[in-house]
Amino acid sequence: MLAGTAAALAGTAFLAGCAPTGPGSPGAQTLQFWHLLSGGDGVTMSGLLDTANAAQSAYRVRPTVLSWGTPYYTKLAMAAAGGRAPDVAIMHATRVAGYAPGGLLDPWDVDKLASLGVDESTFPAPIWEKGHAGGDLYSVALDAHPFVLMYNTDICDAAGVLDSDGNLTPATSPEEFLELSRAVAAESTGHGLSFGYLGDGAQMWRLFYTLYTQHGLTMETPEGGKSELDDDAAIESLTYMQTLLDGEIAAAQADYGTAVAEFATGNSGMLFTGVWELRTMQAAELPFNASRIPTLYGTDAVYADSHSFVLPHQTSPDEGKRELTYQFVADLLKGSFDWAEAGHIPAYLPVTESPDYADLVPQANYADAAQYVQYDPPAWFTGSGSNFQSEFGAAVQGVPLNGNDPAAAITDFRRRVDGLLAKPNPADPEGTFGS
Amino acid sequence: MTTAPQTARATGKGPTTGASTRAIVTGTSGPGRHEAKGRREQLVSWAFLAPFMIAFVLFLVWPIIHGIYLSFTDQSLTGTGGGLVGFANYAEALADPTMWRSMGNTLWFTVLSTIPLVLIALVMAVLVDRGIPGQWLWRLSFFMPFLLASTVISQIWVWIFNPQIGAANNVLEAFGMEPIAWLQNADTNMYAIVIATVWWTVGFNFLLYLAALQNIPAQQYEAASLDGAGPWRQLWSITIPQLGPATVLIVMLQVLASLKLFDQAYQMLGGVSSDTTRSIVQYMYEAGFVGYRFGFSAAISYIFFALIVVIGVAQALVVSRRRNLR
Repeated sequence: MLAGTAAALAGTAFLAGCAPTGPGSPGAQTLQFWHLLSGGDGVTMSGLLDTANAAQSAYRVRPTVLSWGTPYYTKLAMAAAGGRAPDVAIMHATRVAGYAPGGLLDPWDVDKLASLGVDESTFPAPIWEKGHAGGDLYSVALDAHPFVLMYNTDICDAAGVLDSDGNLTPATSPEEFLELSRAVAAESTGHGLSFGYLGDGAQMWRLFYTLYTQHGLTMETPEGGKSELDDDAAIESLTYMQTLLDGEIAAAQADYGTAVAEFATGNSGMLFTGVWELRTMQAAELPFNASRIPTLYGTDAVYADSHSFVLPHQTSPDEGKRELTYQFVADLLKGSFDWAEAGHIPAYLPVTESPDYADLVPQANYADAAQYVQYDPPAWFTGSGSNFQSEFGAAVQGVPLNGNDPAAAITDFRRRVDGLLAKPNPADPEGTFGS
Repeated sequence: MTTAPQTARATGKGPTTGASTRAIVTGTSGPGRHEAKGRREQLVSWAFLAPFMIAFVLFLVWPIIHGIYLSFTDQSLTGTGGGLVGFANYAEALADPTMWRSMGNTLWFTVLSTIPLVLIALVMAVLVDRGIPGQWLWRLSFFMPFLLASTVISQIWVWIFNPQIGAANNVLEAFGMEPIAWLQNADTNMYAIVIATVWWTVGFNFLLYLAALQNIPAQQYEAASLDGAGPWRQLWSITIPQLGPATVLIVMLQVLASLKLFDQAYQMLGGVSSDTTRSIVQYMYEAGFVGYRFGFSAAISYIFFALIVVIGVAQALVVSRRRNLR
C-alpha cells in the first residue's frame, strides 16, 4: 500500500516533469519528435536537438528514439492510424509511398515552408522531387545518404591510383575499375575491395541499383501492373558484381560487418558502403578518403535514401504546435551542418554550398552525389528496411555466392516483385490516391 | 469427505470447492440460508478466479474470436479497410506459394529438429543414468543451454557460424574442408538453425528422459542380470520399452514446440527473411506487421491452426491405438 502511494506520487512528479512548460524555458511548447537514429547518428541528432532547443524559447523538442526498420515503421503507422501521432517524425523518403496514400501523413504547406526559407530552390532537384506523392509534398529531406566508395590513401598511393591531389583516379568504365581494383588488391594484405553482402539484401540492392541506374535507366513498379526492368542492363550489372566478388578483388563470401572490419583495420584498399560508416573509419584513425561511386556505365547515378521530416497524421492538430513544428524543421535544416559529421550529405543547399562545407573533408568530396541520387522505385513495399530489398537479396545472392546464372536470378527477382505488385496496397486498397 | 458430491448436488451448481463443502457440513439452518451462503461462497470463489479470468479472456479468448473475425476482413494496420471480404483472404493464402513454402519450411524444421532432439536426449540421459563419473556436471551442462533466452543463443550461434571467424568453419578447416556461409547460404541456413536449436533445447527432453529412467524399478535390472542379460539386452528389453510413455510425451511436446519456430530463426538471420527458413509464424508476422495486412495475416494463422489441430488429433489417435493394442 505504502509502495503504491509512493509510486503514485512519483508518477505525479514525473508527469509534472513532462508538462508543456519544460524546465528552464517557461511557456515553451513541447514537440514530440520520433526518429530511428541510433548509434553515432543518434548522438549527432541529440546534439542538433540540443542546439535547436537552446536557440529559442518557443518550443522544446522531446525525441523518442525507436529501433530502426520494421519496429519503427509499424509503430509510426499505428500511431498515425490512431490519429494521435507525434508532432513530427523522421522517415526514409522511400517509405513515404507506403504511408501517404493511407492518410497516415499530413501534407506540408509549401507556402508556409517557403516563408521560413525552405523551398524548391534550397534542395537538389531529385531530393525535393522525392518528397512528393500524389501532387502534394509529404516529406522534407534532412539529408541524402548515398552509397559511396571509401579508400585507404596509403594503399591506393602505393598502388599508384591517386592523382596529385590525393584523390582516387576516377574510373570511367567497368574494365577500368577492374584494373584499378586489381592494382589496389596487389598492395593490400587482404582484398583490394571490401563489400559485404551475405544475408543482406539491402547491400546487394545498393550496389546493383547504382550500377543499373548508371545505364541511364530506372526500375518501374506501376501499381497493379508489371515491373519494368531492362534485362540486358540488369544482367550486365549483376554479372559485374559477380566479377568483382571473385575472391581476388573482393572476398567471395563476406557479410557487412566483416567487410567494414577488413577496411577499418587497414587490410583492404577500398570499401563500398553507405556514408553512415564515416564515423567508424574516423574512429579507426585510418588514412582514408571517400568519393562518389565512379560512373562506369555512362550516366552519373548512385543509390541513396534520405532521412526526411514528415507530419504523421493527427486527427485534430493543435495549430500553434503545427506552426512551431514548421519552425523547428526549418531551424534543424539550417543547422544541419553538424549533421554532415555523421557522414550524411545535408539536403539543404545553403549548408552544402557554404565555404565551411567545402573545407569539410572527406564529406565535401562526395557531396555532388546529392545531384545524382537514385531512390528505390516508389511502391508501398519498397524502400529502406522493406521486403523489397530482402526479396532482391533472396533472388540474387546465389549469383556471387554459388556462381548461379544472373539471367535466371533477374527473372526470379522480377517474379517476386510482380507478386508483390499483384497484392493490394494495404494503405490504399481501392487505388484512389492521387487519381 | 463423502459428503462433498452430495452437497454439490444439493446446492445444484458451482464447483465443489473445499470451502463450500465445509460451509454446508457445518451449517444447520434451512435451505434458504444455504442457498444465500452458497451463492456468496461462489461469488468469493469467482473473485479469486477473477484476476486470471480477466487476463485469460482479454488476452486469449477475445484475441482468438477477434482473429477469426479479422481473417474475414481486409483490415490493414494503417487503419484503412476493415470491410468483410468473405473467404478472399483464405483463398489468397491457399493460392500463395510463399504461404505453402513457409508451411513446408515449418514442417521440415519440425522433422529435422524433433528426431535429434529425441534421440540425442535419450542417449545423453542413458549415459548420465548409467553413472558415468561426474554425473552432476553432465546433468548441469546438458541442461544449462535451455535456461538461456533465445536472443542469447542466437547471438552465440551467429558468431559460431560467422563465415570468416566462426568456430564452425574453424572446425571444417581443421578437417581440410571448405568454409561455409552457414546462415547466409540458402542451402545450409536451415541446418544451421536446427543445430543451434538442438543445442539449445535438448536439455529439456534430456531431463524428462532422466526422470523417467530413474523411475524404472531396479529389480527389473537385477532379475535380468540374474537371467544373464548383458547391458545391451537390458537397454533394448527393459529401458527402451519402459520409456515408451515418456517418449510419447516428449515427441508430442517437441512437435508442438518445433512447429512454433520463429524467434531463433528470425534473430539468427538478423530479421532478414530467407525462402528456405521463413517459417509460417514469420510469414504471419511479415504479412501483418511488415506488409500491414492484418486480415490476410489472420487468415494464415487460422490455416496454421487447422494444421496443428490435424497433427494433434493424428498424434492422439496413434497414442490411443497403441494403448488399445496392449
